[in-house]
Amino acid sequence: MRLKSLELVSSDRSALPDSGGRVPAALRLLQAERSEEIYPILLEEIVRLGFPRALILAVDFESGAITPAAAIRYQEKQLPRFHTSLFAADNPLVGVMHELKPTVVRKTDYSSRPLYCHPIIYRNANVCWEAERERKVDCLATDNYRARRRLDLDSQVCRTCEMRAYSALAVVELHKKPPARQMQELGALIELSNRYLSRLYKIEHYYNRMSDMEVTISQMNSVMMSMADPVILTDAHHQVIMQNQAAARFFKLPEVTTEGLVRAVELNNMLFSAALSSMAMAPGETHRDLTLVDASEGEELLFEAVSVPSYSRDGIPSGMVTVMRDVTDLRRADQELQANYEKLRIAEDIVRQDRDRLNLVLENVGDPIVVADSDAKTVLFDPLAQALFGPLTETTANTVQVKNQAVLDAYISAFTFSFANTESQTLKLIDPSSKQEVEYDARSGKIYDERGQVAYTVTVLRDFSAIRKLEQLKVERRMLEIEKFAAAGRLAATIAHEVNNPMEAIKNAIYLLAGRVNPEAEPVYDILKSETERVARIVRQMLGLYRNQESVKPVNVNTLIEDTLLLLARQLQRADVEVVHDFGDLPPAVVAADQLRQVFSNLVINAKDSMTGGGKLWIRTRQVARRHDLHGWIRILIADTGSGIPPELIDTIFEPFVTTKGEKGTGLGLWIVKGIIGNHGGRLSVRSKVGKGTVFKIELPVVRL
Amino acid sequence: MKARAQKLKVLVVDDEASVLMTYRLILEQQGYDVAAAATSREAIDAVKENDFDLILCDFSLEQQHSGFEVIDAARRKDPNVPCVLLTGYATLETADQAKQNGIEVLYKPIDIAEFLHTTSRLTRLKHESNQEER
Repeated sequence: MRLKSLELVSSDRSALPDSGGRVPAALRLLQAERSEEIYPILLEEIVRLGFPRALILAVDFESGAITPAAAIRYQEKQLPRFHTSLFAADNPLVGVMHELKPTVVRKTDYSSRPLYCHPIIYRNANVCWEAERERKVDCLATDNYRARRRLDLDSQVCRTCEMRAYSALAVVELHKKPPARQMQELGALIELSNRYLSRLYKIEHYYNRMSDMEVTISQMNSVMMSMADPVILTDAHHQVIMQNQAAARFFKLPEVTTEGLVRAVELNNMLFSAALSSMAMAPGETHRDLTLVDASEGEELLFEAVSVPSYSRDGIPSGMVTVMRDVTDLRRADQELQANYEKLRIAEDIVRQDRDRLNLVLENVGDPIVVADSDAKTVLFDPLAQALFGPLTETTANTVQVKNQAVLDAYISAFTFSFANTESQTLKLIDPSSKQEVEYDARSGKIYDERGQVAYTVTVLRDFSAIRKLEQLKVERRMLEIEKFAAAGRLAATIAHEVNNPMEAIKNAIYLLAGRVNPEAEPVYDILKSETERVARIVRQMLGLYRNQESVKPVNVNTLIEDTLLLLARQLQRADVEVVHDFGDLPPAVVAADQLRQVFSNLVINAKDSMTGGGKLWIRTRQVARRHDLHGWIRILIADTGSGIPPELIDTIFEPFVTTKGEKGTGLGLWIVKGIIGNHGGRLSVRSKVGKGTVFKIELPVVRL
Repeated sequence: MKARAQKLKVLVVDDEASVLMTYRLILEQQGYDVAAAATSREAIDAVKENDFDLILCDFSLEQQHSGFEVIDAARRKDPNVPCVLLTGYATLETADQAKQNGIEVLYKPIDIAEFLHTTSRLTRLKHESNQEER
């Protein structure tokens, strides 16, 4: 825009048609292709019109400076005088600039002659292309064209196309008062020049804009190309308009290609196009996973494609911009994570199944199982163990369970801290429901951790009461057999005795017949005699056997009791048991003395055993009369101040093998007592209160001999 | 026996009628004056009315009565009267008790030879002691 030299004039005049040696001003201006060419042509044409000299003062809107841009027939040294500023309000030329109205200035510092000043400013009757394209009316060209107003420095930029306006003042010296026609021609010439200038200016502006845009585009392009992620611009038909190098790797065939590459690229394009289509069908969807084949590496890569529709300036969708992110590694990591999680879950499932199975096994073993940790602290009870020892988590209030726990803890502690790998021992525990002592065979083992330290101990308790019951049953059966045998013996003895009397008579009768039978009948008599002797021998044998057993005889029960107490005196003394006896007058009782001694002995020992801290033992005997009984009864009371018998046991104490003494008792004592008393036709009863004591009452019938 | 002006008196007690009868016949055959009783009551009455030289008594009599009762009754009258307990039942204790009281025991079935020997021995002893008293 700036002129390098004041002499610069249109150089290429040879191309112009020479019609009479002079090319019309309009044609010359039309030939100008650059805005700089306009001012020299204009000045030449002004001189040609007959004006002595002229110059152009250009306005710099940046600084407000006004400087000569071109001049004709001025000496160079004359020009600096014209330097001024838009803000020099007293300068008449500046005033003309502001007024934007051609004016003749008569008296100036510059010249004695009048000066014709014609302001030039960028203006046009039509809006600029930009405004036209954007259908705007807001254009500086038309604004300046329409409005004749003061020159405004700030508003001389187009709000639509951002074009900065130019402004200048054509100053023409007038030598005398020129004819009006000449002045008109001058005005028209300057206006015409400005028209061309505006046009050129506009073209140059758009050219500059275009260069700027090219720069921007190339910048954008280099940004896009340098992106590692594939970026693809597609049109409305999903045809690729533009793509960066990263995208080209997948979607563009390389120079040197192979069949495999072609297929890969085709496949990628197909997949991409399909993804775009489906995204276009689902308006909300902007993300999509896309597996592409790396054409050069032949490797499958997973991309996450993000597509954004692009719009034209008019807001019409013009295509899509798709940016793809390589998520292969991310996804692989994710998948690995997922796979690991899955593995973990399966492993956990297996562990859980194992644990469930183990629990099921534990629950069905049928023996109490206890697992304890390395500190001998119990960590697991199976349901049976829980019944014995109470729940693991809370402390039990059940005294039986507390006692059992103490036994168990002592055992497990001893085992845990011992050097033994396994251990077995008999534990006496109390069954919480029956309150009976049960012997358990505890078998324990140690489980070691990977460092060889004891991690857990496992103890299985085997209840021997079932086996013991079986043994009891066997004993009972044996005793029953003995009893049967004895009964058979008694029956045999009874039969023998019954046979005995008639046989005695027969034998005697045979003796009486001796010597009186007919001699012919002698052999018969002899048979009778010898066979009877034989029967007698058999009977004698049988009765002799029976005779050896203890027989009942009248004895004084008090004496029997005294015998017993004498026998047990030392035991009773050692147990700190005081014996108080109160013997009444008793008729002799027909009893088996030894058996009755057994009865008293059993009861006295039971009493002693129930008084663990010592106590009193009362024995009282009385003869009592009873209605319907001929001779009355002998009553014996044996009372102690011992621990008593729990109510739930009281009904079973006379049964065999029921004992409150645990290992010490055989469970046979009271059963024997009951049997003996029963055999003597007697009665036996018991009263007891836990913590107070127990009273046994024996009643024997008085039998008169 | 011919020398004897007076037969020896024997009481035999047994609740079995047939046994009682055969004992009586055997003893009469031997020349004893035999009194037979089937119950303790009869026996005790007989003891009260007569002086016997020998008492042979079954141990178990009717209704739980015992031969000891009869012997007790006889001894009350004549402490020195020889007594024999005839028994099928008797246990060792019974035998002991009998022996302690100077009572002979014969176990049924009784060997007749032993029976005859015992009776004659006892009556002879009784007779001898009676003569000493005189």
